[in-house]
Amino acid sequence: MKDIVEDAFLSLEDLTVEYRLTRRTRVHAVSGLTVHVKKGETLGLVGESGCGKSSAARAVMQLPRPTSGRVVLDGVDLASLSHSDLQKARRRFQMVFQDPIASLNPRQTVREILSAPLEIAREKETGEARDQRIIDMLDRVGLNGEQALNRRPHEFSGGQCQRISIARALILRPELLVCDEAVSALDVSVQAQTLNLLEDLKLEFGLTMLFISHDLAVVKHVSDRVAVMYLGMLCELADAETIYRKPAHPYTRNLIAAVPEPDPDAEPNTLELVPGELPSPINPPSGCRFRTRCPLATDRCASEVPIAQELAPGHTVACHHPMS
Amino acid sequence: MGEIVLDVVNQRTAFATGRGMLTAVSGVSLSLERGKTLGLVGESGSGKSVLARSIMGLLPRAAVTGPGSRVLLNGRELTRLSERELRPIRGAEMSVVFQDPMTSLNPTLTIGKQLTETLRFHKRLSKAGARQRAVELLRSVGLPQPEIRVDQYPHQLSGGMRQRAAIAIAICCDPDLLIADEPTTALDVTVQAEILDLLQRMVREHNMAMILITHDMGVVAGRCDDVAVMYAGRIVEQGPVREIFHRTRMPYTAALLSSIPRISDPAHRRLDAIGGRPPDLIDPPPGCAFAPRCKHVSDRCHRVRPEPVTEAGHMYACHYPLGMKEPA
Repeated sequence: MKDIVEDAFLSLEDLTVEYRLTRRTRVHAVSGLTVHVKKGETLGLVGESGCGKSSAARAVMQLPRPTSGRVVLDGVDLASLSHSDLQKARRRFQMVFQDPIASLNPRQTVREILSAPLEIAREKETGEARDQRIIDMLDRVGLNGEQALNRRPHEFSGGQCQRISIARALILRPELLVCDEAVSALDVSVQAQTLNLLEDLKLEFGLTMLFISHDLAVVKHVSDRVAVMYLGMLCELADAETIYRKPAHPYTRNLIAAVPEPDPDAEPNTLELVPGELPSPINPPSGCRFRTRCPLATDRCASEVPIAQELAPGHTVACHHPMS
Repeated sequence: MGEIVLDVVNQRTAFATGRGMLTAVSGVSLSLERGKTLGLVGESGSGKSVLARSIMGLLPRAAVTGPGSRVLLNGRELTRLSERELRPIRGAEMSVVFQDPMTSLNPTLTIGKQLTETLRFHKRLSKAGARQRAVELLRSVGLPQPEIRVDQYPHQLSGGMRQRAAIAIAICCDPDLLIADEPTTALDVTVQAEILDLLQRMVREHNMAMILITHDMGVVAGRCDDVAVMYAGRIVEQGPVREIFHRTRMPYTAALLSSIPRISDPAHRRLDAIGGRPPDLIDPPPGCAFAPRCKHVSDRCHRVRPEPVTEAGHMYACHYPLGMKEPA
């Protein structure tokens, strides 16, 4: 754990994101999230709708800035930067969104879409050099750059649009790539192509990645370590093999058990969740936020917020009754 | 053989587009027994939803159905029925659960109103009787506090609860056939498991036949008796789930199975992606539609479309099926 903190390229420290609803009520989207990501590593962030994973991603991007806490990228706290310094720093971290069609401006050509980051970063180059740079990037993500240049998003399939989004995110050669459900809207065969592409690009560009998804199998495929969130809080964090093989948090266990395995001979898993609904993030449960659905909940879970503890080196869990 | 509920014979559905006729479903035949669940899998554009809508008679006006296409429900041909004749059947003998319960439910009517409307139309229940039945149905699909929920609007329910309500509406008249079109795609995994459990229980309790449309092979593996794989408007392989998973004959099915990320795989395993894209359905290639993407392709595949072959309940359409010594 200690060495990860020291070599961290990206650190989220006590990150809190709240959205104000009225004068008194707030949505507690992310509450005190602390994770560290090493250079060249992919951290998978998983959880169900409303767990705060997208809010955390947006807080990393400073879109909008988090309510409190720090986002440290290579030693610089992004949350403390002035607007103009942040603008300059942005070329170091970029994002790919879920909906490949909605995230591209339908009225722009691919050339315009990929020029935008270069213009914002005030790259000084001739039009010809810029075109060549765009073509090279498009070729790199598996499109025919020359042909794509003057086309608009509607002329491409969903998978191709996602490749354009990836090209747009990578054209400034960022060091950190944040993917928020980047393959969730794609068909399986296209999803596999895109996941392979992201793995290749990560190595080629030396990227550090924050990979957000609700799909546990997809996350396992790309991640070195995985963090599980529930209702704004971190439940468990471990390397990808450990968290799937020996999940310690009751929520992680249920989440994994719920994934249908494409094998007709697999034993059907039964969930141990207490029936009920996800509590509201406006008024989250006291103590452990998972306790209202947890089969192991006790009085202590209602009164005391569980602190993340290290079960084994690199495996932390925030639970009063972790399973071993 | 059990009692056949649904028979689809040579279903062909096309749409007129600016570029010409787009054949979304080209010659699909299948039959389904009472109590069985058929998983219909395929990627976007493979024609699975259009097939479902063709069965339900819910096609838009621009759709053209082939002259030899027939849909029989309990032996009665639906294809030639007028909209007026179809109404008492749809919702009563066959019904459908859609992907997104927020758009399939009417946002301006309470859950109870939507349920009692169906009950009163088909079952001629009294107002009070229908309401009582609505509460019972909501309880049977596991909606907590059904007496309160019955008077609530869809937006007051979570996604999972809305889908439970939609299932209650679909099964309220004891249909013989239930079509569930991607019923859990919009839901979280833990909720998905609960909804799939509920659908399975409903099929058992009401002794229905179900077509479960999904793009998730995991859902097929655990929840279906049989599976039909669609590609470019045709069923390219069909049979019992175990047979299809363990003795895959059609290269497309095999490619689909190996491109799925699995939780049991080691991290960073490279996926066997299928290169290329499905063919244009306005001007499809003359041979096998999967040929341009197939690893085992030969000259014959490009020229001649493979006819479906059935061996011991396992149907496939391929010139060079996998795991066979001699080409079929």
